[in-house]
Amino acid sequence: MSRSVWKGPFVDAYVLKKAEAARESSRNEVIKIWSRRSTILPQFVGLTFGVYNGKKHIPVNVSEDMIGQKFGEYAPTRTYYGHAADKKAKRK
Amino acid sequence: MSDLVCVGVVSGAFGVRGEVRIKSFCANPEDIESYSPLSNEDGSKSYPLVLTRQVKNGFTAILGGIETKEDADAIKGVKLYARRDQLPSLPDDEYYHSDLIGLEVFDTGGALLGQVKDVMNHGAGDLLEIHGQGLKDTVLLPFTLEAVPTVDLGTGRIIADPPDGLF
Repeated sequence: MSRSVWKGPFVDAYVLKKAEAARESSRNEVIKIWSRRSTILPQFVGLTFGVYNGKKHIPVNVSEDMIGQKFGEYAPTRTYYGHAADKKAKRK
Repeated sequence: MSDLVCVGVVSGAFGVRGEVRIKSFCANPEDIESYSPLSNEDGSKSYPLVLTRQVKNGFTAILGGIETKEDADAIKGVKLYARRDQLPSLPDDEYYHSDLIGLEVFDTGGALLGQVKDVMNHGAGDLLEIHGQGLKDTVLLPFTLEAVPTVDLGTGRIIADPPDGLF
């Protein structure tokens, strides 16, 4: 069952605090968080979070299409090394 | 930058008429056929490849020079390589993973940070996994214009301006 709308999205309070502080300082930094369960809010767009995967913090650049997802979805907890072959990476 | 790029592997024989099963490592698995002829690891043998059908975990194919089931059994496990120049050229700011892996990463002051070990993407943009001698663990660097202002494939160097708190 999905979460009731009247409750609003869940975000750990410390994540909000850290994001606000980072936005005010406008420094280029990775905001280290351990809260994989927090929802990505519109005010996080443009910030880079380091989401803990149980071993290290995975950098997650928040973009508009990620709003409403959880941070944990972008920091997998298992490692898989595939083959490079003809796979491409785009610098944005 | 290596001249050969591994694009697949022979996973065994298929049937009794010399067809083989292959696993494709390409981003679009059918593209392996477009890189034909493929070679083995040392480039000593060349295999023209024609895909015949799709099977579980791969394709079946006819490889040039493989006529019988015994021939097909003999090349089980052989990795198939395409030449780097067979891969289509890419627009600006787009790179093949195989080109990025192994490049040396320097900071904007010219200090060596490490080498690119892998390129990954977990849904929030591409990340370079950097492995350095002075680092306890690998570091993931976002592959963005801000964090990686310069990629010089010619000299094999990447200039990085990592955000605070990464290294």
